[in-house]
Amino acid sequence: MREPQCVVAAVLPDGWRVPALAEHRRACLRCQASAVRERNVRRGLEALGADLVPAPMGLQARVLERLGEQDAADPRRALVARAAARYAAVAGLASTALVALVAGLARRHSRALG
Amino acid sequence: MTAGEVQRAEEELLARARTGDREAFGDLVGRYQDTVYTLALRLVGPDLAADVAQEALLRAWRALPRFRGEAAFGTWLHRITVNTAWTLRKRARRHAGEPLEGDFEDRGLPPERAGELAEMRARLGSAIATLTPGQRAVVVLRDVYGWSNAEAARELGITEITAKVRLHRARLRLRSLLEGAR
Repeated sequence: MREPQCVVAAVLPDGWRVPALAEHRRACLRCQASAVRERNVRRGLEALGADLVPAPMGLQARVLERLGEQDAADPRRALVARAAARYAAVAGLASTALVALVAGLARRHSRALG
Repeated sequence: MTAGEVQRAEEELLARARTGDREAFGDLVGRYQDTVYTLALRLVGPDLAADVAQEALLRAWRALPRFRGEAAFGTWLHRITVNTAWTLRKRARRHAGEPLEGDFEDRGLPPERAGELAEMRARLGSAIATLTPGQRAVVVLRDVYGWSNAEAARELGITEITAKVRLHRARLRLRSLLEGAR
């Protein structure tokens, strides 16, 4: 049967390991075995990175057939301009509201005085 | 050809392709199509991989004048492939999988276990296909291609915390699938 610390150690992602569990991990054979299995999975995944699956026949030809115009303009520029316009509009509305509020308060204050 | 010569030849092709030379770009496609297709295959599975690879290469052609060489061309292509995979997968809504949530010393694998590793690679390939698209993308970029959590999170449009959680769940899932398959 697994100890509670083993269960907690297993569900915590890397980097979130709490010091209290570190000692348990060092002493627990089950947790060590689990760590070795996890390393084996990672090693297998790393090895997958070296594999190359050949692209389907004709991919290169299909790509070359469909080449259109190149575009040197950064698509992010339009997004940035749109976001800037939105922020400017919000800032404009906020400052108008603030000016109106201050003016209202000032009017009320002057009425109260005289 | 030495590695340096290969690099210079590629830089020359890139320079020509950036100014609209289709033939040079064709050579680059020839060099990188397998890499792009393999990444697409790992990210979206066999149904969409060819479409993703084709669209990624077309996007790369369109954006090539903006490529400034800050990263290697291969890395830049990988990023485009990830973005394309994400876009096409969303568009197609063709999720391949259902949502899912000894010796204790580690001294590296001795030669007699090389076959075991090859077998594990084959099983891992199919196990990856059963992960959720989000988990699959993170585990492929992080563990298979060695990206950092920050890079993977940025390209996938998620937070680093989300990336870490998905990675952890994916690894747990893969481990349990592999152990269950024994």
